[in-house]
Amino acid sequence: MASLKRWVLVGLTACAVLALAYLPPRGVKSSDKSVFVGQSPQGTRTRQHAQALAEEWRNADAAVRLLEDRQQVKRDFVRASPTIVFRGATLPPHSVRNIETVMDSVWRGLGLGETKVRVTLVVALQQPSGPADSPTPLQDRVAYLTPDSTDRTTCIASLPAGPYWTLVIQGKRDARHEGFGRFAQWLQAGLGPCAFYAAYGTPGRPVQGWLAARNWDVGLYLGSHGIAGERFSSLDLLGNPRFSGFWDAVYALPPATVACLAGRWSGCSAAVLAGAADEATIPIPNVILVERRWWRVQRLLPGERYLGDVARTVGRDGFQSFWSSGQPVDTALALALKRPVGEWTADWERAFVRPIRLGPTPPLGGMAIALAIAVLALAIVAGTASRRQVR
Amino acid sequence: MRGVLALLGLVALPIPAMGQQQRWEHQVQDRMQRAIAAVGTASRLPVVKRSGMLNTDEAASFQTTLTQGTSYAIVGVCDDDCSRLQLTLVKPGGSEIAKERDSESLPALHVTPGTTLSYGIRVVMEGCRWNPCWYAVAVIPLGKKARER
Repeated sequence: MASLKRWVLVGLTACAVLALAYLPPRGVKSSDKSVFVGQSPQGTRTRQHAQALAEEWRNADAAVRLLEDRQQVKRDFVRASPTIVFRGATLPPHSVRNIETVMDSVWRGLGLGETKVRVTLVVALQQPSGPADSPTPLQDRVAYLTPDSTDRTTCIASLPAGPYWTLVIQGKRDARHEGFGRFAQWLQAGLGPCAFYAAYGTPGRPVQGWLAARNWDVGLYLGSHGIAGERFSSLDLLGNPRFSGFWDAVYALPPATVACLAGRWSGCSAAVLAGAADEATIPIPNVILVERRWWRVQRLLPGERYLGDVARTVGRDGFQSFWSSGQPVDTALALALKRPVGEWTADWERAFVRPIRLGPTPPLGGMAIALAIAVLALAIVAGTASRRQVR
Repeated sequence: MRGVLALLGLVALPIPAMGQQQRWEHQVQDRMQRAIAAVGTASRLPVVKRSGMLNTDEAASFQTTLTQGTSYAIVGVCDDDCSRLQLTLVKPGGSEIAKERDSESLPALHVTPGTTLSYGIRVVMEGCRWNPCWYAVAVIPLGKKARER
């Protein structure tokens, strides 16, 4: 009997030790502040209002500049590839010719020649800050003016060069070490939705409304390589799954996006068709402003190349039928893919990332301790039972 | 002197922008010329031509005066990517007089107006595989219709 009491005591003590180790103290709430994510202090309400006004001003200013560009730009009709205009500085003719040569090869690489919708690429070279009485114009966001009823054949892409590419374009920095491949990649990525307009014309209303509702997150890049490098995609920005930062980033995504990363068809379908049911009105002028950190607002990863990959898979005629279709997006896309959208997208996703595991996943150490406790309990019971004697 | 004036007149004509001379515009202009030649005209009245581009389901309208008792052929053509073009002749009040939508990419209307009026011609791009699609419309006077006795 004394032996049994001792074992019960040992068992209870072990349970208490485990509880102390694993359970948080009573009444303690988890901190909202993450140790890993830096938080910028919020401004006053007045400051926030001023910033919102400045943002509105920048957007309106960008729209006006694009409209002015459309009015003023003289097209170069000798070349089939985009007309390139430089803002902020006058470049020597040989520099312009070099850049046009790079663009010509990018254009051919995309399989484009003479197109119904022509593209004008406005490269905004970095300028010193303007007068302090007005907000700084958009210098870090790409903006697009798509064709509309006032000009059905011009798509304008405004591409801020930033300090690095400004120096390269002006010849003040040698890009040989970086390679002109990167410059070509940058130009190709800068074409954005305009590349789709050039390749496939103005989309039908359902597709146009769908893309407008999600700010073109699935049609930012027509090329077959990564948007910012040979194999780079927005998935790479999530980091390594072995680190907790990856999971923080994953669970900051919309549920359908996460489900698609896990290889669930329904999640992939929802992630792709988000916005397809909205009755989006297309404004005139239709200016698309791509977020500076566009990968943070994607509903599908790596969404920037999704439509480009669909186009390569189904071929030109198939994609053209989808693009110009008057049918709802889900129907038109499934017809083009000849498969359910979710199923095809889950396979496509799997080509970039191994499906992540969702739901509770106990750590290996925890599982081992639990099993050890279970074995110990069974051993105690078995030992006690074997010593019992019926008299 | 006349020759010089004619030459000056030619110089003063607006030169079409190079940009508008694209493959698809050439295509519809060629088709339009062939359609006019095929229909033929015996009238002194000028052939009215309009051209432009439209996306699928978009429409454009223009006005033209049709003379009482003169027969007209109204012909529409569009580029290779266009699959269906609709032509409608509309009275100034908005009521439709004639509509052609069954000839796919080459619709034609034949009318002889009873009154000289400014009529509306509406063009609807019902099908275009690669937007926008170029189109052209010609109003071809065929000559005075003989009065019925």
